[in-house]
Amino acid sequence: MTTTERPRVPVPARDRKPFYLGVVVVAVVLGAAHVGAWRVTEFSPGALVDGWHGMIRFLGEALPPDLDWASVVQPGLEACLTTLAIGLLGTTLSVPAALLLAVLGTRGRNRVVYQVSRSVMSLLRAVPDVVFALIFVTAVGLGPFAGVLALICHNVGVMGKLWSEAMEEVDPGPADALRVAGARESQVVANAVLPAVVPSLVGLLLYRFDVNVRSSLVLGLVGAGGVGFLINQSIQLFAFDEMATYILMVLVLIIAVDLLSAAVRRRLAE
Amino acid sequence: MISYDRQAGGSRPLPACPTPPEQQLTPLDTALSVSGLRKSYGDRQVLKGVDFAVAPGELVVLLGANGSGKSTALRCVVGLAEADAGEIRLAGRRLRGLGGAELAKARRAAAMVFQQIHLVRRRSALDNVCAGGLAGLPLSRSLAPAFFPRELRERAMACLQRVGLADRAHDRAGSLSGGQQQRVAVARALCQGAEVLLADEPVSALDPAAATQVMALLAELARRDGLAVAAVLHQPDLAREHADRVIGLVDGEIRLSCHASALSESDIDALYQSEDS
Ligand SMILES: Nc1ncnc2c1ncn2[C@@H]1O[C@H](COP(=O)(O)OP(=O)(O)OP(=O)(O)O)[C@@H](O)[C@H]1O
Ligand SMILES: [Mg+2]
Repeated sequence: MTTTERPRVPVPARDRKPFYLGVVVVAVVLGAAHVGAWRVTEFSPGALVDGWHGMIRFLGEALPPDLDWASVVQPGLEACLTTLAIGLLGTTLSVPAALLLAVLGTRGRNRVVYQVSRSVMSLLRAVPDVVFALIFVTAVGLGPFAGVLALICHNVGVMGKLWSEAMEEVDPGPADALRVAGARESQVVANAVLPAVVPSLVGLLLYRFDVNVRSSLVLGLVGAGGVGFLINQSIQLFAFDEMATYILMVLVLIIAVDLLSAAVRRRLAE
Repeated sequence: MISYDRQAGGSRPLPACPTPPEQQLTPLDTALSVSGLRKSYGDRQVLKGVDFAVAPGELVVLLGANGSGKSTALRCVVGLAEADAGEIRLAGRRLRGLGGAELAKARRAAAMVFQQIHLVRRRSALDNVCAGGLAGLPLSRSLAPAFFPRELRERAMACLQRVGLADRAHDRAGSLSGGQQQRVAVARALCQGAEVLLADEPVSALDPAAATQVMALLAELARRDGLAVAAVLHQPDLAREHADRVIGLVDGEIRLSCHASALSESDIDALYQSEDS
């Protein structure tokens, strides 16, 4: 052995005693919260075991899936395209408003403007897109258009928040350098902030597209068109084998969108 | 009248460092003059009445230990920090009393380069240099490099040529070496058209060869192009080699001001001796 053995040195005592009481209090509170949650949700593994034959019956009716081209597969594919289209428009059309709110809601600007745009984004984020869809259905009727409007509203809030956080993380140095050179705030944003953040903004945009396509499925369940609408319909008609076909299509659609956006984001990150 | 005499009021005896007589400048001769500059962050007094001046055609080096206030002094001059008190003159104009567009215009007489270089790495060297000349351009011409007017691009090209990087104009800034990036940053400062060039540790992240090259460039910009250059350095040897004058800061006060050639080892020791050692 060539390594030299170092002599041991006793660890000096610390002044501060570890705060055992705090750990105990946290553990008790967390434990109580979980017991409460168990009761509130009527969590009962027994009920699941007793009801297994219900599930078997359901699966028996769903399998094999109904693969009739004219009555199931073709309408299903068209509805998938609608779902994709709702997600696409809902994402793209929310870009201008999200960008504006993100720029205004970045720390370091005028405090009032900052607070107002943060509040607008929080509000849009707090209202689920399904609620927006229900509201817009009353205005423009059942259909994909209501879904697009709902996605835009919710997505502006979420994407604006994600984007403003990305902008806050950007190194302030280049912006300072341009300010010293006498550039106005809008010029600083266009020539120092945006070039540095565009890759992460595009990455977040793709991530939101991915999420929005999935949301537009749920929106379909409340009448905003697309394959979600067909799933809802087939459940109401107890046509579980049709439903199984649609769900398989949804699986393929979602995996494809997920792979696509992940691949593009990976390229951007390089 | 600004003189480079030793500052009164320092708690420590000043090093014996003669003030060069030809350096008795009046504010009219100077491109940058700072007097009585004070700045506090919370309870902490960072600048305790700093006076210095830089004339066109000279390179002044600021030395001082970490935290002595060198960066703060430069940041106050260019407006990245707000001075509590004191007077700053840039190109003969007093900044105090000016506001809004007039102040912004007067401040444009000073450009700054940074230790961290602060280029937009994804953009080309030329586009980065152009960004130094954005002031006064309408927003429609400054939203993206594609809209920059030809006049600006050609001016930027001349600045890149001045720093010896005309052949790298279209390379991504992030793909250049550290020394080349710092020279692009100097070109960006030149594109601003400033008379005063401030440099905060411009060579601290560079290897010795690149550091010498950048310091030689700064000295040349002073002597040939007539800029007033003030650079913060942590390398006294580079100061001796390239500077005309050296100013030393200790705890927010100027404790040393002398010809670079007169800088002695004991002067330097006095600057870096910490209070608690
Ligand atoms: N924005 C700020 N907020 C609070 N304190 C600050 C700020 N900027 C600087 N300081 C403090 O002011 C003092 C001087 O800082 P400054 O950066 O001017 O020193 P410096 O001479 O440039 O040091 P260095 O050689 O490390 O760059 C330090 O104690 C620092 O902590
Ligand atoms: Mg500093």
